Amino acid sequence: MIVVRLKPIPEIREMLEGHSNVLLVGCNTCAAVSLAGGEKEVETLLEALRLAADAQGSDAEFTGGVIQRQCEPEFVEDLDLEGYDAVLSMGCGAGVAFIAENTDLPVYPALDTMFIGAARGFAAWQAECSACGSCVLGQTAGICPVTRCAKGIMNGPCGGVKDGRCELGDRDCAWVMIHERLERQGQHDNTCTPPKDNAAKTACPEWDMGGHRENVKR
Amino acid sequence: MDTTKTDKITELTDGARVFAPCRAKCPVHIDVPGYLGAIGEGRFTDALEIVLERNPLPSVCGRVCLRPCEEGCRRCNLDEPVAIAQLKRAAADYGSYPTVKPGPSIGLSAGIVGGGPAGLTAAYDLALAGFDVTIYESEERLGGMMRYGIPNYRLPDYALDRDIDHILSLGITAKTGVQIGHDVTLDELRDIHDTVVVTAGLQASRALPIPGADAQNVLAALPFLAAANRGEKVDLGKRVVVVGGGNVAMDVARTARRMGADEVHVVCLEDAEEMPASEHEVDEAQREGVKLHCSWGPTAVAVEEDGVCGLDVQRCVSVFDEQKRFSPTFDPEEVNRFHADTVIFATGQGADVADLGLELTQRGAIDVDPLTLRTSAHGVYSAGDVVSGPTKIIDAIAAGHRAAACVLRDLAGRPEVLEELDQDCVVLGLVPENMKAKTERQRRIRMETLEFYEAVETFDEIEQGYTEYEAAREAQRCLGCTTGARLSREKCSSCLTCMRVCPYGAPGVKVGGFLYFDAETCHACGACASQCPAQAISLEGQSDQEMMRRVEAVLEDAGPDTTLVFSCGCTPIVPVILGDDIRDLTVTCLLRVSEATALRALRSGAAKIAFTGCVESNCRYPHTRDLVAQRIEAIRSTLAQIGLEDRLIVTGASPEEDVHLR
Repeated sequence: MIVVRLKPIPEIREMLEGHSNVLLVGCNTCAAVSLAGGEKEVETLLEALRLAADAQGSDAEFTGGVIQRQCEPEFVEDLDLEGYDAVLSMGCGAGVAFIAENTDLPVYPALDTMFIGAARGFAAWQAECSACGSCVLGQTAGICPVTRCAKGIMNGPCGGVKDGRCELGDRDCAWVMIHERLERQGQHDNTCTPPKDNAAKTACPEWDMGGHRENVKR
Repeated sequence: MDTTKTDKITELTDGARVFAPCRAKCPVHIDVPGYLGAIGEGRFTDALEIVLERNPLPSVCGRVCLRPCEEGCRRCNLDEPVAIAQLKRAAADYGSYPTVKPGPSIGLSAGIVGGGPAGLTAAYDLALAGFDVTIYESEERLGGMMRYGIPNYRLPDYALDRDIDHILSLGITAKTGVQIGHDVTLDELRDIHDTVVVTAGLQASRALPIPGADAQNVLAALPFLAAANRGEKVDLGKRVVVVGGGNVAMDVARTARRMGADEVHVVCLEDAEEMPASEHEVDEAQREGVKLHCSWGPTAVAVEEDGVCGLDVQRCVSVFDEQKRFSPTFDPEEVNRFHADTVIFATGQGADVADLGLELTQRGAIDVDPLTLRTSAHGVYSAGDVVSGPTKIIDAIAAGHRAAACVLRDLAGRPEVLEELDQDCVVLGLVPENMKAKTERQRRIRMETLEFYEAVETFDEIEQGYTEYEAAREAQRCLGCTTGARLSREKCSSCLTCMRVCPYGAPGVKVGGFLYFDAETCHACGACASQCPAQAISLEGQSDQEMMRRVEAVLEDAGPDTTLVFSCGCTPIVPVILGDDIRDLTVTCLLRVSEATALRALRSGAAKIAFTGCVESNCRYPHTRDLVAQRIEAIRSTLAQIGLEDRLIVTGASPEEDVHLR
C-alpha cells in the first residue's frame, strides 16, 4: 500500500490562496487505509478550512467528496468539477497527477506521499519498498536495502554501523538484519552483488510518457 | 495468521431485525438499549419518547411491570440485570411527555369497552391512526386494575394519571361510570361506532366453594383492593387470613396490614418454591410482617355466632400432577385452623361479560378468532385478559396493540401494522465466555425505598425512584447490545483499522477481505466507528449527523461568550470552566465527538469548545482513553495550525460524588 500523510495545514492554505470554490477529493483506497484521505479525513480538513476561512472573513467555499481510487480513469471520470476553481486532492501523488491530467483546473496535493509500506498495527506503517524498478529482495532475505538502508546501498553494512544500529540513530541497520536473516535461512555467502541498475524503471514501457499511449486499450 | 472466523455470526445490517434479549423478551419489544443509552447521557425526554413508541404506559410499567426484559438482560450471566423497568420510571419522572397529535381523521370511530392497559393501548394506537375513539369504563375513573387492583404503595394515582393524561391528550373521549351490557347494550355501541373493541379484563373474583365462604367477613380480593384504592376504610378486625399464593394475595395481605390488621396470614396450596407470586413481592410482604403458610388447602371457613372465627385447612401434599396440570392432593389427617376475624379470598379472577351477548369459551372468556381477534359479533373485537385469562400488564398492552392492528387491517386497509407485529427477529445470545473476562462487573444501583416499618403505616409509595444521577449511572451498566457497530459494505475500504482498535475481537474478516462485526461480542464502545477512515461504521442512534443535530440544539441562540462543553457521561462533574454561557452536551464517550463535529460546532455558534470528564476512575471503556487523548490532541493541533488554539479548552477535572448529571 502507498502510505500518505496530511501536509501541514498552513502549507495547504497557502496553495489554495486566491481560490474561492475548492473541491476536496478523497481517495478510498490507499489514502483511506493510511488514515489520511478517506471520507473522515476529508470532512475534518473541510471543516478546518471552512473554520479558518470564517475566522479570516473570507467567503471561500469548500466542498468535499470521495472517489474509490484517484488513479483510475473510470473513477476520475465520475468527478463533476463544474463550478469549482481548484481541486485539492487527498490522494497519493498518482491521484493528484491523474486528476490534474483530466481537468484544466489547478489540482493541489493535500497529502505527502511517503512510501510503499505495510501495516504495523493501528495507525502505524513500515516502509518496505521504494519502487526502484529492479527488485533485489530475492538476494536480501526480503529486506529492501534501497528503502531501509539510510544510504540505499548494496553490499552493506557501511562503516557507520554500531551494535547493529544505523549511525543515524533512528533505526536498526538494514544490512545487519539482511545478513542475520540470510544466515538463519542458510543462504549466506560473502560474494559481492554487482552494481544495481538504478535507471531500470525508466526502461519499462509504462514509464515511457509518450509513445505507448495509443496502444493501451481504454 | 488466519483471521477468518467460521462460526455462525450475528451481524447488524440494515435489513435484519436483530434484538437484544431484553427487547425480545418484552412483549411489546421496547427498544430497551436505545432508551437506556439515552438515559446514560442524561437525555430523559429522548428516552421517554423511545419507550412511548411501543408502550403508552411508561410511568406505570416503570413501577409495576413484572420485567420479563430483565430476565433477558445479558448482564444476568455476569452480575445482575440492569434495572430496566426502574429506569423506565426515571424516563417518565424526569423526561417531558411529548406533545402528541391524533392522526388525520379517517372518518371512522371506535368504541373501547374497558379502560385498562389493553383498552388504553388500543385507544392510543387507533387515535394515532386517525380514528375517533371513545373509551367506556364502568368505574368512576380510567385505569382498570392498574387503578383499582394495584395498591397505591406500588402504583400511586399520580403516576398512573400521568400516562392516562398523555393518552387522552390525543383527543380520546372517556365515558366513565358506564357499564356496557347494563347501562348501554353492545348492539347500541355497534350502532354508534364503526368498530367496538372489548378489553373488559377480569372483574370477577373467584371464591372457593367451601362451607362458610358466603359468611359475613369473608371478602373477595378485587372489591377489597378497589375499596382500599378508593380510600375507603374496611373493618378487618385484628387477624386476617388471606387465601392464595399469587401477587394479588400479596397485595391483599400488605393492604390489610396498612388497614390496621395486627396479624396477617397468607395461606396457600403451593410450597414456597411453587408459589406464583414473584419472589420480591413475597419478600417484601414478609418484611412487612405478613406470615406465610404454605402447602395448606382450605376446607371450610369456620364460623361462630358472632361471625368468622378462622379458616380450616388440611395439608396439601402436591399441587400439580405429572403432566404439570393443577390437580391438588391432600392429607386429610393433618389439619389445622388459622384463627381469623376476616378471611379474604385471592384465589383467581374471572371474566364478567355474560351481559355482552358475545359467544364465550367454556371458561367464560370471550371467544375470538386468535388470528383476527374478531368475536362472534360483526365489527366487535376483543383482546386482553378477558380473552386470554390473567396475564401481566405488559401482555395486556401487547394485546391492545394487536387489537388495534387487527382493526386497522380490517377497517383502514393497513395490514402492515399487524405484519410488523408478527415479524421475526434474531435474538442475541448470552455474553460469550471470552467476553466475560473483558467486561467489568458492576453492582446494580439500589433504589431508595421507605423502611418497612414506616411503609406499613401508610399507602405512600415505597420505591422512591432513582435520582437523575443514579439513573444515568445505572443505565450505563447496559452493555449496549445491538447498538454497536453497523457496517456499510459499500463504503468499507477493508483497512482493518476497526480490528486494530477493538479490544473485544468483534470485527473479523471473511474470505475475500470483507469485514463483518459480530454483534454478540460488540460492546458498542464506538472505538471502531470513531477511527474508521471511510466512515463505513455507525452506531445505532449515534451517527455524526445525529451528534450534529444535538450540537445545534444545544447551541440554539448562542452568543459571543458561549462555550460548548462535551462532557463524558461516565463522569458526573459540573464543568469547572469559567465563562458566562456554558452549555453542556453529555455523551456516552468523548470518542463519539468526531474532529469534524468539534470543528463544526465552532462554526455553529460556539465561541469555544471544551472536553471534560475523561477520567480513569469512572471510565466504562478504558481502552478508548488513549484514543480520546489522541482525538483531542488532533483537534488542538488543527486549531493551532489555523491560529485558533484559544478556542479549545481541555480539563482533566476529577469527579465529584453525588453531583447530578445535568
